[in-house]
Amino acid sequence: MDRKINPALKPIESIDFVKPKVFDINQNVKLFFMSKVTNETSRVDMYFDAGTIKGEKGTSSFVNGLLLSGNDEISSTKISHQMDLLGGFFESGITTEGAVISIYALRENMPSLLRLIKKSIEEMNCNPKEVEELVQDRKQKFQVNLQKTRFLAQRAFQHNLFYSHPDYAKVVEEDYYEDVDPKKLYRFFHNNYLKGLTKIAVVGNFSQDYVDEIIDLFGSWAKEAKCEYASDFKNRSGLHAVIKKDAMQSAIRVGKILFNKNHPDYNDFQIINTLLGDYFGSRLMMNIREDKGYTYGIGSMVAEFNNFGYFMIATEVGAEFKDATIKEIQKEIVRIQTELVSKQELELIKNYMLGQLLKSADGSYSMMDLYLSAEIHGLDLDFYNESIKSIREITPKRIQELALKYLNWEDMTIVTAG
Amino acid sequence: MIKFERFTLKNGLRVLFHQDVTTPMAVVNTLYDVGARDESEEKTGFAHLFEHLMFGGSINIPDFDAPLQNAGGESNAFTSNDLTNYYDVVPKENIETALWLESDRMLSLAFTPRSLEVQRNVVIEEFKQRYLNQPYGDVWLELRPLAYEEHPYKWATIGKNIQHIEEAVMEDVRNFFHKHYHPANAILCVAGNFELDEVKQLVDKYYGDIPSREKHIRLLTKEPEQTIFKEKTIYRDVPADAFYFAFKMPERKNPEYYIVDALSDALGREKSSRLFVELKKEKQLCSEIQAYITGNIDEGLLVISGKLNKGVDFKVFENALWECILGFCHSTMSEDEMIKLVNKIRTSKEFQEQGLLNRAMNLCFFELLGDANGINEELEIYQKITVSHIQELAKSILKPTNCSLLRVISEKKESNG
Repeated sequence: MDRKINPALKPIESIDFVKPKVFDINQNVKLFFMSKVTNETSRVDMYFDAGTIKGEKGTSSFVNGLLLSGNDEISSTKISHQMDLLGGFFESGITTEGAVISIYALRENMPSLLRLIKKSIEEMNCNPKEVEELVQDRKQKFQVNLQKTRFLAQRAFQHNLFYSHPDYAKVVEEDYYEDVDPKKLYRFFHNNYLKGLTKIAVVGNFSQDYVDEIIDLFGSWAKEAKCEYASDFKNRSGLHAVIKKDAMQSAIRVGKILFNKNHPDYNDFQIINTLLGDYFGSRLMMNIREDKGYTYGIGSMVAEFNNFGYFMIATEVGAEFKDATIKEIQKEIVRIQTELVSKQELELIKNYMLGQLLKSADGSYSMMDLYLSAEIHGLDLDFYNESIKSIREITPKRIQELALKYLNWEDMTIVTAG
Repeated sequence: MIKFERFTLKNGLRVLFHQDVTTPMAVVNTLYDVGARDESEEKTGFAHLFEHLMFGGSINIPDFDAPLQNAGGESNAFTSNDLTNYYDVVPKENIETALWLESDRMLSLAFTPRSLEVQRNVVIEEFKQRYLNQPYGDVWLELRPLAYEEHPYKWATIGKNIQHIEEAVMEDVRNFFHKHYHPANAILCVAGNFELDEVKQLVDKYYGDIPSREKHIRLLTKEPEQTIFKEKTIYRDVPADAFYFAFKMPERKNPEYYIVDALSDALGREKSSRLFVELKKEKQLCSEIQAYITGNIDEGLLVISGKLNKGVDFKVFENALWECILGFCHSTMSEDEMIKLVNKIRTSKEFQEQGLLNRAMNLCFFELLGDANGINEELEIYQKITVSHIQELAKSILKPTNCSLLRVISEKKESNG
């Protein structure tokens, strides 16, 4: 065997995308169901129209943290205790446009757990003592975050990126934690959770009958009206510096408003994104980490919203390398715009992306997530067959054209914190 | 139940094969029996720096990552105080590429000076990003040398300080490779939709001719038994006071290890655990509190950590914590508390084993402990734990003379404006 010779590679012929079963809860709200899990695990995710754009100040975030806080009769401790007896795990979180709760349990315990969670959430009353405790805890976390350059950069980036839309551009301030009114929180909770369910995703080896039971259990929470979201965003370009004295590293964010899966250039742009910063061998990693040693890591991404998306490069670098890093980022973008990518590099990216897509479709959990990230934009699994086609067919010329079209340096919002 | 097959090559490489017919992906996981505990005290952080260099090209292949990416795969690694673990996830059709790459870097590295220079800088930035440029980021750099007097757990995987990383030279790299990176010091797991014969043949093809070297016998200074309460207070520009109570606990192979793990869960895993309920919910002394174990192979730590509420005096909190611990040791735990612990562990374990990569990593880890099948026996061990087991151990472990306490006191620097 000659160790210098790479074993022959086999291309990925096809990827098996599996569609979940779809059930209507009402005309807008659906339940998605995937079975064929290889062990006894199961997961139920519930989505709500309760993102940060919906409430004023920290309302949406506080309510999300209070869902299992109980009421005057049943304490949050009691609820946790019952959940733990069933070996269940509960997570909740919010994004700009939505909220989600995820429930993890062994299949045998899921029915009892879901009943417990339904009842606990329904009876939650924004008890002032629980509200006060949560607000103080969150305030402390916020103060800790303010010491992280990463947090400061992300916050300023979001503010400038969404500048055209105040609901999206608002960032957490110290006064969010003052004078929080439990009654206001309860109103939000009632409108956006008990009448705000937008989607359920179930993964686990359940029977069809049990899925019907889940619909019966949570059906009354389904949102009646269709959700509306903003569009036509414009980021505020240019350099915005947040000063944090004595920081050993500076956090950097570079990006702009872009599109989501609904745009015809989305799939092709993903290839540019990968080339530039979305894998270990990307141009940015090779230059800024592996050649210059300025950072432990640098990456790029496309984040998606209901009606738009954005592109972002993120890194933390030694404080003395801040300016040099921004210059190198610009250089790498210009390089894609001016030099055709080599056949060899493009081939590698194509192979890599197909391998990652294969992995994203592996198993019911991954497949559900993959499906939902198309479904949110009204797309079906055909979208991923289009992705494969786009990866296979893209040319160096097309990459250059798209980079010129979408990665204009003058359009970028650039934030540094440090 | 995670099924596996085991075979050993003539050069001493231990190989595990785990079949999963449901996935199109394959995993090649390689565990090397070397971690930060094998470093000399004058050259700490080296095992981890070395892990970075393993991606800088091997004897016959100039670049590790690109061929794997070209095969549709990806790779990463981590170093702990105990071990170093490398993994590749790749479409199953291209598993040979992963074996080709992994076996070549087991054979020998390229040892290019350029790779050392760059990775040295990358690791220094990692040091800053994770430990120095974060609020509370340096607590483990302080807590370890407080808790340990002799054992190499007294330094963190990243190293004692940046200077040690700056001083590393190529000579160190070569010696480290020779001593720790060879078949007899590694455990390989191949997982995916394959047959045993196929795996045997592939592994033999790529690893069979790697020369064997003698496995280095680890002789670590045993940590002397702690007999006094140790404490240290540091002042940092952080918004809230924080506490870290670290108690010594038995080594991984001691049956009591599992009991202490359950004990830490009972104290502070969930929002219905003892410390959380008593000190946060009832007495409102802290904003967060958790208990966990470090999970080390040698004598590790059970840690109770968290942050104080504004205006709460450290002394008041410490008294309340010791009182809570005393109460836990002397009042009987309820049956419900026991059921909760085991049910939580069961669910976590099942979710962990959902992923192919986790299964492969854990098989290697248990094989390092002595038997890969340990992965299938764990749950039963937890299920056999009784209330009195936990309380007896609580009494012997959760006492001041077995404790090292690190306090972080918030000290506001001038405003940054």
